[in-house]
Amino acid sequence: MTITDFLFFVFAGMVIMSALGVVTSKNPVHSIMFLVLTFFCSAAIWLMLEAEFLAIILVLVYVGAVMVLFLFVVMMLDINIVKMRQGFVSYLPVGIAFAVVILAIMVWVVGPASPDVSNTAALHQAVTHGADYSNTKMLGKIIYTDYVLAFEIAAVILLVAIIAAISLTLRRRPGTKHQIPGEQIKVKRDDRLKIISMEAEVKK
Amino acid sequence: MTAEIITMGSLNIVTAMPEIFLLIMACLVLLVDLYLPAEKRQLTYLLAQLSLIITLVLMLMNPVTHTTLAFNEFYIHDPLSQVLKSFILIISFGVFVYSRDYLAQRNIFKGEFYVLGLFAIAGMMLMVSANNMLMLYLGLELLSLCLYALVAYNRDNAKASEAAMKYFILGAIASGMLLYGMSIIYGLTGSLKFTDIATAVATGTNSAQHIGLVFGLVFIVVAIGFKLGAVPFHMWIPDVYHGAPTVVTVFIGSAPKLAGFAMFMRLLVEGLGGLQADWQQMVIVLSVLSMAVGNIVAIAQANLKRMLAYSTISHIGFLLLGIIATTPDGYAAAMFYTISYALMALGGFGMIILMARKGFEAENIADFAGLNQRSPWFAFIMSILMLSMAGVPPTLGFWAKVAVISAVIDVNMVWLAILAVIFSIVGVFYYIRIIKVMYFDEATENTPIECGRDMQLTLSTNGLAILALGLYPAALMALCVSVFK
Amino acid sequence: MENLYLAIPLAPLVGSVIAGFFGAQIGRRGAHTVTILGVAVSFVLSLVVLYQHLYQHAPAVNATLYNWMIVGGIQFQVGFLIDNLTVMMMTVVSFVSLMVHIYTIGYMSDDLENWPKDSLAGVNSYQRFFSYIALFTFSMLMLVMSNNFMQLFFGWEAVGLVSYLLIGFWAVRPSAVYANLKAFIVNRVGDFGFMLGIAAVVMYAGSLNYADVFAKAHLMSTETMSLFPGHNWNVVSVICVLLFVGAMGKSAQIPLHVWLPDSMEGPTPISALIHAATMVTAGIFMVARMSPLYELSESALSLVMVTGALTALLMGLVGIVQNDIKRVIAYSTLSQLGYMTVALGASAYSAAVFHLMTHAFFKALLFLAAGSVIIAMHHEQDMRKMGGLKKYLPITYWTSLIGSLALIGFPGFSGFFSKDTIIDVVHHSTTGGHGFAYLCVLSAVFITAFYTFRLFFLVFHGEPRMDAHTKAHLHEPPWVVWLPLIMLAIPSVFIGGFTIGDVLFGNYFGSAIYISPHHEALAELGKHFHGAWAFMQEGFVGPAFYLAMFGVFSAWFIYMKRPEIAGVIKQKFALIDTLLVKKYYVDELYAWLFGGGSRLLGKGLWTFGDVRFIDGLLVNGSAQLVAWFALVTRRLQTGFLYHYAFAMIIGLLMLFGLGLFR
Repeated sequence: MTITDFLFFVFAGMVIMSALGVVTSKNPVHSIMFLVLTFFCSAAIWLMLEAEFLAIILVLVYVGAVMVLFLFVVMMLDINIVKMRQGFVSYLPVGIAFAVVILAIMVWVVGPASPDVSNTAALHQAVTHGADYSNTKMLGKIIYTDYVLAFEIAAVILLVAIIAAISLTLRRRPGTKHQIPGEQIKVKRDDRLKIISMEAEVKK
Repeated sequence: MTAEIITMGSLNIVTAMPEIFLLIMACLVLLVDLYLPAEKRQLTYLLAQLSLIITLVLMLMNPVTHTTLAFNEFYIHDPLSQVLKSFILIISFGVFVYSRDYLAQRNIFKGEFYVLGLFAIAGMMLMVSANNMLMLYLGLELLSLCLYALVAYNRDNAKASEAAMKYFILGAIASGMLLYGMSIIYGLTGSLKFTDIATAVATGTNSAQHIGLVFGLVFIVVAIGFKLGAVPFHMWIPDVYHGAPTVVTVFIGSAPKLAGFAMFMRLLVEGLGGLQADWQQMVIVLSVLSMAVGNIVAIAQANLKRMLAYSTISHIGFLLLGIIATTPDGYAAAMFYTISYALMALGGFGMIILMARKGFEAENIADFAGLNQRSPWFAFIMSILMLSMAGVPPTLGFWAKVAVISAVIDVNMVWLAILAVIFSIVGVFYYIRIIKVMYFDEATENTPIECGRDMQLTLSTNGLAILALGLYPAALMALCVSVFK
Repeated sequence: MENLYLAIPLAPLVGSVIAGFFGAQIGRRGAHTVTILGVAVSFVLSLVVLYQHLYQHAPAVNATLYNWMIVGGIQFQVGFLIDNLTVMMMTVVSFVSLMVHIYTIGYMSDDLENWPKDSLAGVNSYQRFFSYIALFTFSMLMLVMSNNFMQLFFGWEAVGLVSYLLIGFWAVRPSAVYANLKAFIVNRVGDFGFMLGIAAVVMYAGSLNYADVFAKAHLMSTETMSLFPGHNWNVVSVICVLLFVGAMGKSAQIPLHVWLPDSMEGPTPISALIHAATMVTAGIFMVARMSPLYELSESALSLVMVTGALTALLMGLVGIVQNDIKRVIAYSTLSQLGYMTVALGASAYSAAVFHLMTHAFFKALLFLAAGSVIIAMHHEQDMRKMGGLKKYLPITYWTSLIGSLALIGFPGFSGFFSKDTIIDVVHHSTTGGHGFAYLCVLSAVFITAFYTFRLFFLVFHGEPRMDAHTKAHLHEPPWVVWLPLIMLAIPSVFIGGFTIGDVLFGNYFGSAIYISPHHEALAELGKHFHGAWAFMQEGFVGPAFYLAMFGVFSAWFIYMKRPEIAGVIKQKFALIDTLLVKKYYVDELYAWLFGGGSRLLGKGLWTFGDVRFIDGLLVNGSAQLVAWFALVTRRLQTGFLYHYAFAMIIGLLMLFGLGLFR
């Protein structure tokens, strides 16, 4: 076992453990922290596969931006954990049973029992490159040439997501009180203050 | 293979002109709508319809004498895509016509509906024209995302929001499974392209690799089953059809079935045709379960939208029969069935939209009581639609059923044909019940049917087309057969 | 050219659709104008086609217009076969139909009286009637112009449908409803045979197209089929017999004749058009069209001949004792159809079709004349209440005389040429049963003459027996009624002598009718044929002429000279009289055997099969099962998201099971 193999197993193990933590921890904030850990370990595995760009992006975008946002949202919402966990125990045995069955199938299909699967082209030993090889450059090239259509459509999907999110959440409620700065600035003295002349009165 | 310099010519961009145009128009509609005052919103609608028509024209102008590839073989233009996309556009056109009055009556006549609709149509077209797994997935996601948003479109309706949530989460699970299956197939064959996958599958796989492929295949079948709504991946259909605004239901229930059919053809027939023996078994089970559950549970429904949802499930079972035959005739029959079904669903939900008015959704079967007294013509149209769905001659639905059933008989699966016939007989009950209710029950109210002339005309055309195509099925059948020559 | 052919049947269809669907809008005048226009168009175009075929010797056209569907290699098409046989039928059908359309204007003008005051069915009945007869014309033309069995069957059923609708036209009369049901049900029996015949054709020839089937006829005649183990039957014979069963139903041959007399419940114009001139001859036409098949089956020909002979004789006998003016003519129609069928059996297809044509004219004439009498008599149809109408209805009288003379085959009238030929052909025929048939057709000549002139004398001569009120209002009906009478009288006199040379002994039919070299009775006759004039002269010395004259004389003697004799004969031969009046008890037999039998069977099936087994066990049982299942499965739709997701996982595992552990 080389050092890379060892590191792989460490990170892979952490990915699995922290993923389990996401679904089992009682506190949603903890769940999110576990999710961050999962992403982080995945990024580490990618790094070991010389996919530096993807690893960095994962950390920057998911860990740095998406998850932080997520954390804000979760912390702002008052989630009733007890209610959400109702029935968790009663469904747990069935859930575990199914998970085990699926795990068994996966092991049987790609596990050590069928070594031929790992003998296919794509599952060969990861390709290694020299120090001058730029992962980022290669990705950039391929995205704007071979994969241009997929890239564009992915962009469209993001656009649709924006439209959908806005159209579902943006609402102008009638009767809400908000400031209109333009109106505020335009205000004149006469609008606010009225000077009336009246006779002086003397307290009797 | 990486092209250092790309040009318009090397991408063969002209071939994909319809989709490009449609996407541009979708963005344009979005922008125009932003600056339109509410009372001029009709322009958005007209612009959306116009873009559909022009897209159709652009596509029909593109000859399909042979298969054309574009965008570095990501995009394929062949007879299958030509026919399916034409019908997607025609049916979507109908959906938009049906939507206008309905949305206006409920004060939700907004540009987003058409923008999202156009994007969804573009997604379907991309799915149909996908030449590799990545494109198929992206097209599916584009479509699904729009549909999720459309289901929740009437956001003040709690039922719709619940339906959208369910649809979104289950859809995410299904698309996760699809992606997982695809990555396994990719890992084992080393390619995303359908033709390369087919070659890799055909040229020798040992038994362990075969098991790996089947493992991936199962996830893909699950995703396709979910998209089409086959049992046991059908659970979302009744809730979503019921919960969504009817105009969205008619959209989900019609055109995307064509895209789902294309997804099946591209992934399982073109790409994984070598694993036919494996997926055939699975599809048989899905088909039988769908026919059984769809037809039987539909009987117990009092809500017409739910009833039609279960009827959809049963129709999916029937259309899968054609694919099970795994012969060109069978595929043609399945395609014929899909197109027929999409037209019938368009009309069926269209009738519900027609009957609805401000503050009243005519979605219960009882709402159709005595329709004959209120509007004999639309009672007649509804009868045609119901008879067609039931598969009674001389309507289109009859020929569709005949085609798929004879397809399975041709491959000596007589037992399957017998089951299909039995379930279609069970199904006749709930369709005929609608006719009974319309003609023999007393009307509970006597308000005349009120809706726009365009809607009446389109719906009548829709119903009569089903009758006419039933009387002269040869042309449509020939079209479907020619695709799989 | 094909558009021309297509226009011929479609013109009446258009008229029918307009009159039928928009009758209320266009009114009576609009309805009869549009339908008459439609039929007139087909008549004129038929004449054009006739001219092309007669004088320009246009070749036969066999064209397929539309491929409806292809199932299992069998093509279902719409197509036309236009040869000389078709052309003749087209002209006859459209001409008689046109006459009847015009006549109907007069006959149905007071139709409102036939309906109860508040009857909904009486609304626009006039327009509906025109729509029906125009639809009939379309169907009949489709039938005769067909080039394949499917379209033939379509026309066959469509004319049957219209016949059903028209017999029961006055739906408020129970007798009319009974009659149309009877016609419909009896025709079902025939049509069932016909359908089996077509099925056999498809099975053995693999095509519905006449040309393909005829091309394979010889091949099929060498094949056998065994319906019951141990009995091998010739395929062509089976096909021919089955097809003839269809013809028996449509052309009312014994034993499926019972519906035709009752069909007189319908308005008289349709009795003339449908139940005398055209529809009932569809069976004759069909057999003539199928001559290449029938020629290969001796046994089928024998069956055809004997059936025809029996019908010709027995139905004529019943005609003697009828008192309803229309029923007498109806029985005479049965008898004449028997003549045509005999001719078919003797392989003299052209003689049968020739008689079909002449009969169409003079029988339509007789019916329309009877209708004219009925109009004048205010819808009184009993001959015993008529008499002496000669001076009130001169045109009707003279045209009736022409029709009657044509019917009895008086030399010179068109009926003579066709009927005498049939009798001679049967005499020379070699088909099995020809001796018996000859005896039948010869004696039927006497009977025909007798009942025809019995009717003639009872109606037009002797003392008037109607009540004073009717008598006071007797007058000749309007021109729309008598014009068709005259128009039909002309061909009733002349068409026979004019065309006999070409049609029977010339080469008019060409390849349209095939006669095997073994069955050349007609050709034998042709050797002694020296023109219509000589044929007529020979007619005066033949036995048929004297029999006919004797029949006329007997009728005159019994009903005019010594009316008391009729009563005496009736008493002396009470047994035979009752037998004839009861129409050989066939109706009673059918009512008892089939009516009662099927009711018994039905009741048995109902109580045991339906109520207990099907309703109880299968329908309610399965419905309950389904309902229970639906209820249970509906519960699965809990509405909980994780249940749905769970169902998907179960499905996933199920597919794993299928895919991985096979």
